[in-house]
Amino acid sequence: SCSRAKDVTMPAKLPVNFFSTRSPVIDLFRGQLDYADQLRQDSEIVLYFFYAPWCGQSIAAKEEIDHVASRLSDQVLFVAVNCWWNQGKCRKQKHFFYFPVIHLYHRSFGPIEYKGPMSAVYIEKFVRRVMTPLLYISSRSKLLDFLSNYEPGVVGFFEFNASPQPPGYLTFFTSALHSLKKDYLGTIRFGVVTDKRVAEEISLVHSGSVYLHRHANTSLIYPKDIMNFTAENICKWALENREMLIRWLRPHGGKSLLLNNELKKGPALLIFIPYNPLAEIHPLLDEITKVALEYHKCNKSQAAEPDLQHLGDSDSPAFDSSVPDAHLKFSETFPIAKYPCCNTVVLPQWHSISRTHNVCELCVNQTLGVKPNKVHVPHCNFLEIEAALDSFYLQEHTFFQVISNTIECSNFLSFYSPFSYYTACCRTVNRHFLSFISSEKTIFQTPKVAFSSHGKKDNTQFSIPHIEDRNCFIPDLNISSTNITGLSCRTNKTLNLYLLDSNLFWIYAERLGASRSTHLKEFAAIVDLKEEVHYVLDQNQSLVGPTLENFIKNFSVLYSPLKRHLVDDPSVHLHEEHVVTEVTTNTFHETVFLSAKNVLLFYYAQWCGFCASLNHIFIQLARLLPPDSFTVARIDVTRNDLPWEFMTDRLPTILFFPHQRKEQSVKFPEDFSVNLPNLLKFILHHSSLSSSEPCTKECLHKESVLQQGHISHLEREIQKLRSEISALHQAHDHLEAQLSEARREEQKLQQQKHTLEKQHKTLQLHSEQLQATYDQKNQELLEMAEKLQELADASENLLKENALLRILVASRGGKLQSKDEIKEPLQSEQTFSEDNDISPSTATAASEEKRIDNIDTIETTAEHNSGNRTE
Amino acid sequence: AAMQRFLGSLLCLCALRLPAGTGTAARGLDVASYRERVRAMFYHAYEHYLESAFPYDELRPLTCDGQDTWGSFSLTLIDALDTLLILGNVSEFQRVVNVLQEGVDFDIDVNASVFETNIRVVGGLLSAHLLSRKAGVEVEAGWPCSGPLLRMAEEAARKLLPAFQTPTGMPYGTVNLLHGVNPGETPVTCTAGIGTFIVEFATLSHLTGDPVFEDVARKALKALWKNRSDIGLVGNHIDVITAKWVAQDAGIGAGVDSYFEYLVKGAILLQDKELMSMFLEYNKAIKNYTKFDDWYLWVQMYKGTVSMPVFQSLEAYWPGLQSLIGDVDNAMRTFLNYYTVWKQFGGLPEFYNIPQGYTVDKREGYPLRPELIESAMYLYRATRDPTLLELGRDAVESIEKISKVDCGFATIKDLRDHRLDNRMESFFLAETVKYLYLLFDPDNFIHNDGSDFDVVVTPYGECVLSAGGYIFNTEAHPIDPAALHCCRKRREEQWEVEDLMREFYSRKKTKKFILKRAPDHGEGENAKDPEDASSEKAGEKRNSKKSSHSLLSCPSQSFNSKLAVLGQVFLDNT
Repeated sequence: SCSRAKDVTMPAKLPVNFFSTRSPVIDLFRGQLDYADQLRQDSEIVLYFFYAPWCGQSIAAKEEIDHVASRLSDQVLFVAVNCWWNQGKCRKQKHFFYFPVIHLYHRSFGPIEYKGPMSAVYIEKFVRRVMTPLLYISSRSKLLDFLSNYEPGVVGFFEFNASPQPPGYLTFFTSALHSLKKDYLGTIRFGVVTDKRVAEEISLVHSGSVYLHRHANTSLIYPKDIMNFTAENICKWALENREMLIRWLRPHGGKSLLLNNELKKGPALLIFIPYNPLAEIHPLLDEITKVALEYHKCNKSQAAEPDLQHLGDSDSPAFDSSVPDAHLKFSETFPIAKYPCCNTVVLPQWHSISRTHNVCELCVNQTLGVKPNKVHVPHCNFLEIEAALDSFYLQEHTFFQVISNTIECSNFLSFYSPFSYYTACCRTVNRHFLSFISSEKTIFQTPKVAFSSHGKKDNTQFSIPHIEDRNCFIPDLNISSTNITGLSCRTNKTLNLYLLDSNLFWIYAERLGASRSTHLKEFAAIVDLKEEVHYVLDQNQSLVGPTLENFIKNFSVLYSPLKRHLVDDPSVHLHEEHVVTEVTTNTFHETVFLSAKNVLLFYYAQWCGFCASLNHIFIQLARLLPPDSFTVARIDVTRNDLPWEFMTDRLPTILFFPHQRKEQSVKFPEDFSVNLPNLLKFILHHSSLSSSEPCTKECLHKESVLQQGHISHLEREIQKLRSEISALHQAHDHLEAQLSEARREEQKLQQQKHTLEKQHKTLQLHSEQLQATYDQKNQELLEMAEKLQELADASENLLKENALLRILVASRGGKLQSKDEIKEPLQSEQTFSEDNDISPSTATAASEEKRIDNIDTIETTAEHNSGNRTE
Repeated sequence: AAMQRFLGSLLCLCALRLPAGTGTAARGLDVASYRERVRAMFYHAYEHYLESAFPYDELRPLTCDGQDTWGSFSLTLIDALDTLLILGNVSEFQRVVNVLQEGVDFDIDVNASVFETNIRVVGGLLSAHLLSRKAGVEVEAGWPCSGPLLRMAEEAARKLLPAFQTPTGMPYGTVNLLHGVNPGETPVTCTAGIGTFIVEFATLSHLTGDPVFEDVARKALKALWKNRSDIGLVGNHIDVITAKWVAQDAGIGAGVDSYFEYLVKGAILLQDKELMSMFLEYNKAIKNYTKFDDWYLWVQMYKGTVSMPVFQSLEAYWPGLQSLIGDVDNAMRTFLNYYTVWKQFGGLPEFYNIPQGYTVDKREGYPLRPELIESAMYLYRATRDPTLLELGRDAVESIEKISKVDCGFATIKDLRDHRLDNRMESFFLAETVKYLYLLFDPDNFIHNDGSDFDVVVTPYGECVLSAGGYIFNTEAHPIDPAALHCCRKRREEQWEVEDLMREFYSRKKTKKFILKRAPDHGEGENAKDPEDASSEKAGEKRNSKKSSHSLLSCPSQSFNSKLAVLGQVFLDNT
């Protein structure tokens, strides 16, 4: 049975429904591809979802497909096919390397494979594009809308007057579908114009001509005379000649060189915004693309081009509409932004070395007070601010305590008037992150705000210690005079601009240092792969056109004020006390340079095997060294960037920063093995330069402190030794117990041995006895056999005798007969004698049989006996 | 060479066959729920093993009974023991420790694989021993340098020692636990069967104080090193008597895999430069001769010509190993290649023909091996790339959908049609489930980065233990490197440390002494220490000294690693 069970196998389970039965998706879970093809006849647009039931990605995408299907089921047929089951047609005919695969058909055209993100909105957008690959442009304004988009647009002009379908229209339509095959993000949009007057706007005269719109370069008309007018060619032409002022990056998740290839082209500005492809308008995106357009607008003369003027016109309302929107978003993150009349105050620090500031945004709160207000008219009175500041200074001590990174607001009454309220929102910021203020500034710099720079200056003079001129913190906002228009051609640090959907790719933003706490997933960073640096647009500034422009400008100028961004590990909690101090980018300076201790810093990475196996050594070291003069610290350099001079290219690296000579750090030599004695020697060697002069009072004091430390160290040692002793005692006891147990067991064993020996003896005795009885019985048996033999011999003799007797009787009979023949009548006598003759012979035979029987029984009992014995 | 070029072009095509649309939908992958599903998987298999198969070695999930496979040690139970603790089941851990102490006997007349017994039984018992305190088992006073489980591990290991008594020091593949090497035993052993002892055996030696284990393991490693080919590669099988290579295929997979793994892990565990320099030499040769387009092929060990253009399921441990020594970029690129194979079949076939993009005849099975998941766990530590969690998700879905049966999880006999086989290897609970769980549990104590630790008072002094940096043996049994230090090294260092500490506090008096010693003598003396540690081979050492950096270190990650997630890879120009 064992070997048979080994061969037991089981076929795969039969396929079952993948989609729920209530889903609008038709689920062909047995892979009926033929039926799927039949279904295609029924609908103009069909989406096939080829899946494998075990595939995690298919399972994840199922919900998204369900969602899209529920929205589009009246126009599109959704068919899911199990393309894994090996009995199914689909598996037999198709050979996929991954699942799910989505194919779309527009009537007979297809398959168009969808390769975009597996998210419902993106899929739906794509399906809609397949449904209407061509946008019908009916009027002049629609044309301008179409062309003003940042994504390249292709316009075909076809006059539908005479024939039902103008020549070439179908080809153009197919080319639009075709482009979706190649360009699965659908960045090139196709439109069709039927009105001659509209077509004239883009100087198209002949029906059947195709136009590719470009913003920075001259637009093109499809060269029919050079290339054949085929769908493939049109598509190829558009793809090759399209303008990419700003590009979406959508990594597909598989192995790809996308970012490598793009970032190797040069410094790149990556802009992360949340993007919903289905939304009608994208105000933020419009604003960004406007900046991009300006940035790339190199040739001034082009501005004369008619459509670009239109573009400007059509853009401005869009821009206007985006501005309040930006404000709205802004107000979500910064509650103070809704007050139009504000001023930033930087509080004096506790001491000059502190790297943090408390910064307050002081606003005249017109909504809280009873004053008839002007909320909607941003207006700010110089006097109001003055009064507010005065009131604020009187209460500023209450704001010193603020040490949180989040903004905390409080309202307080005016010093002068019971009707005025002020709101002060304060928070602590690191010095180099002071651009908190700048975010305010960008908003209030918009021309409508009356809070003039003049007023600001006055304030500065009025209260010197409190208000710092913004200029020294945020020089990047001071060069607004440089124009961004066409900057890409004027600078030698040209940026490539990219967009990323922060709903999908926020992880890249996080890795570039986007804060994890913000709700608003907007982020911009300039990445320079060659220089291995990146700059980050302060996240406290809202991502709007002007900030972006400034960011670009600051990057482009000769002596860029931008500072390399250092990504910091947010997961380290400052207040957690560890034996080995955990250093981050933000605490590096403070822990290493500002502390009055010798610092041993261990550079590590969690993934590096050589570092992790040293943990226990550093913990031991930290427990050993006197904590009041030594710090043992470590920094995870994969999560914390450091200034160049403190970077290291190998891990682990151990640096020692001696007290009072922090700038003369020394590196633990690499060819020494890292162990406790070596580390101690290293530290001893490098920390021992101080005080060889004759002892002063101070020195004596130091000495006593040192000895105190020694004493406590020794006490610790004694403690350790004590516990060691107790452990030894324990072990001793344990051993003792084990020993006594072993002895006891030995004794037991001895006893057992004795009893066993006894048993053995008795058994031996017993077996001897048995042997004796066996012999005896054997003897008896032999005797018995002899007797039997005798009996048998006797019986044989008897038989012989019997035979002799018979012969004797016969002879006597013969004699008697002859006598009778003579005396009596012959016949009767003869028969009588014959009868007599037979009976004795039978009697002897019977008696003999009986005897044999007897012998038999004796023999069997004897056998039985001997059998018993052997048993 | 022509063959190579031909292959090269094919491989390029293969790598371009990229899956679409991954990565994004799983953005919000619910790690906690997957963690719980893995936990449920474990108990489904474990409970059925106890119910239907114990005390046999393995569960047969289709027939719902048990069988002995590698001996007769209740192997699945030993193997699954530390997984119990990683899942947080302390009480069951304690129960099983008692069961094993009473029930397992190595004095049996069984022919056992030296390699498998070492990695599964010795490794399992060692890690259980080292974790037993954490699991709340009442340990004896000498722990971690003594204890019942350690004694069992030692006993098992001693049964293997006769196999090492060969002219070359390379062990036989099979040994009878009662009688030693059988007469007429084949002298042909696979490379991994020779070079996969140092982690367990060095741990045993450090804990028990008996150097014999580490010595035989090192001797075997050196014998292999001596017999490498001129181009620096090792083959698949060797005759341990004559030291002639019997199978000359060189690669990183079956038959060789854990040899390389143990060179690295041994180097980390023992801070041993010699082992590391061996690995780095091999690594160079492997890159030169077997690596094509982030795949690793099989080549002839003397000529370097491609012999098999296949990827083996067992090779998938390589990216994880690379990440341990800091080669994260290459690791990720290779991992992404392997992941595409998983996506094609829902598992990794034993052999995958790379140019053809399909399974190899007779090698279509997937016995629920852990290697790719293992690499995902290591890489996730290094990169936090969500793609790695997606592999975890795919593995959970696949294993549950394909191989779950009423009595456990069955080996997939054929990945083309997902037919199941009547076997559940013990590594499923020891490794596959463990690595999956650890992938989804970033706060597990195994991932401790050194912010937590235990102080243990032993009769030999005070030890810092459980400070992270666990080294997994090739059967996923974690070894605490601090424990090795605790039992032997610490005692050696103790008095030296004591003297040095005295100097710290009496600096004034002895300052001269230090200053004097430091320039002329101190360095020299210091320099001696590592030399002693890295022992004999002078040639190797000179090599290491020449190189500009320590062998026992990782390169820091490059700038572009910030963006190397969600499948993005960067080509370095250097």
